[in-house]
Amino acid sequence: MTARVTAEAPAPTDWSPEVEELRQRRGYAKALGGEEAVARHRERGRLTVRERVAGLVDRDSFKEVGTLTGQGKYDGTALASVQPAPYVMGLANIDGRPVAVGGEDFTIRGGSSWSGDRKKGGQGGFVEDLAASYRIPLVNLIDGAGGSVTSINKRGHAVFPGVHGFERSVELLGMVPVVCAVLGTAAGGPAGRAILSHWSVMVDGISQVFAAGPPVVERSLGQKLTKEELGGPQIAVDLAGTIDNRVDTEEDCFAQMKRFLSYMPSNVWEMPPEVTCSDPVDRCDEELLSIVPRDRRRPYNMRKLIEHVVDRGSVFEIQPTYGKGLITVLARMNGKVVGVIANNPMVYGGAMDVRAARKQIHFVELCDCFHIPLVFLVDVPGFMVGRDAEAAATLREGMRAVYVGLQATVPMYTVVIRKCYGMAGMGTTDKNGLDLKIAWPSAEWGSLPIEGGVAAAFRRDIASAADPKAREREIEDELRSMASPFRTAEAFGVEEIIDPRETRPYLCRFIDAAQARLRTTLGPKAKYGVRP
Amino acid sequence: MATIQIKTEVSGSVWKIITAVGETVEPGGTLMILESMKMEIPVIAEDGGTVQKFTVAEAEAVNEGQVVAVLTK
Repeated sequence: MTARVTAEAPAPTDWSPEVEELRQRRGYAKALGGEEAVARHRERGRLTVRERVAGLVDRDSFKEVGTLTGQGKYDGTALASVQPAPYVMGLANIDGRPVAVGGEDFTIRGGSSWSGDRKKGGQGGFVEDLAASYRIPLVNLIDGAGGSVTSINKRGHAVFPGVHGFERSVELLGMVPVVCAVLGTAAGGPAGRAILSHWSVMVDGISQVFAAGPPVVERSLGQKLTKEELGGPQIAVDLAGTIDNRVDTEEDCFAQMKRFLSYMPSNVWEMPPEVTCSDPVDRCDEELLSIVPRDRRRPYNMRKLIEHVVDRGSVFEIQPTYGKGLITVLARMNGKVVGVIANNPMVYGGAMDVRAARKQIHFVELCDCFHIPLVFLVDVPGFMVGRDAEAAATLREGMRAVYVGLQATVPMYTVVIRKCYGMAGMGTTDKNGLDLKIAWPSAEWGSLPIEGGVAAAFRRDIASAADPKAREREIEDELRSMASPFRTAEAFGVEEIIDPRETRPYLCRFIDAAQARLRTTLGPKAKYGVRP
Repeated sequence: MATIQIKTEVSGSVWKIITAVGETVEPGGTLMILESMKMEIPVIAEDGGTVQKFTVAEAEAVNEGQVVAVLTK
């Protein structure tokens, strides 16, 4: 009998009450921490996490995941309100390519962690799984201070560090590009995540990053410091190199994040994106002929030199304010992405100090990981010397740079502009590949610069001379006459010497030809051994 | 009028001061030349300005990050 009644009166199919509730719940998500909290956040000169996502990604491309997460309040069984989870994330496009993007919502409990069934963001969160599973870049918009001791209260026990470990974050670094922006005060886990990235950036005036903030520092060491003094860009970017680049505004930050990603493939199984090049490959700028002073004590502008060689407008400098003795830029040659590592003769004559070594290590690993050929523009007198340099472990960090260079398997091109000495010089060569070294006529090389080595190597000869100073100069002149790069080229100790103006066409030709090698060696790079 | 402190990016010694107090330097102009790592390293006033004083003298040793001149603009 019951069956007949059902057949006569069709079952209700109207889901509009639930859809209305969905709309209402989405509204709570869009409202973030509420009007008051959002207004306070804006007063501090900061964008909300939703404005950040909108400012970064292609228009209307953001597909949010976990919109409804949060803490619901109910009147009996009826929904009264929802405090959203303090993390917004999902899938979006940047310049037409998909990315996983997420960021803390500072307007809700300062973007601190949230206990749902599954983590949305942070280490081991859904957003990291999305990047790993779909093999797409991960973009972290960091604005949170991580764990709080109040969680002991909630749980009734202290959480062991690493319950949500960094293992996924670490795995990602070998799979897909990871880009982090510090957009507030980052300490603890979020600060750690900012470092676990291929490229990181912070905004002057609103961003600080540290292992622990001022209250902890004061309690531990008695040092009274402001957030800015402890972890503002002057410390974190310029002095420490903890974060790579600094920018003036959040808008500039988004523009630079997009720019960085434009040089990156979506993952290590793909080639870096090639663009059509309108700059003539055979452009031979006259300026290159006279850019290096004949007086070897005089430095010159290496950044200008780079501009003359790579595709016009293609330079993106990584860590421009840290380790200034070395310049690292992503650029293009005939539309193909290259990483340029150039010594800067304006700072310590281009000698490799600890900072320059660290910068080179990270950049070589970045380019090797994403199959980006490296161009070394070499003017290095060697490792930095002096007590300070030794106390800072220049030799160890410098040898790490050499070690990492020797493990890299991406094609590398050595262009010796002027000095190429010692182990730092050796670290610019492609010993696992073609080892193509080309030189300008201004090039000079050896185990160490002649003027430094003569006094030691010819000590007795010099000491027994009637005029020791004159004898030292005589030996130096004699040796220097044999140090001409043409003599090494005769012996094929350097593969080619070129007119400086020919640098661009020469490199473009070889980088074009190396594409086959790159295409056939895609995938993750194995890591082995122990870095010294 | 803003005061600009010019800091050296390298340790070394002051070789030649090539500007004078009261002189106006164009943006990117060279204030003095240091000797460091056997190279002549220019100290540059990126934004330019008028030299108020030098805080170092020729032949004096300088440390990286040390203020070597004060300019106003």
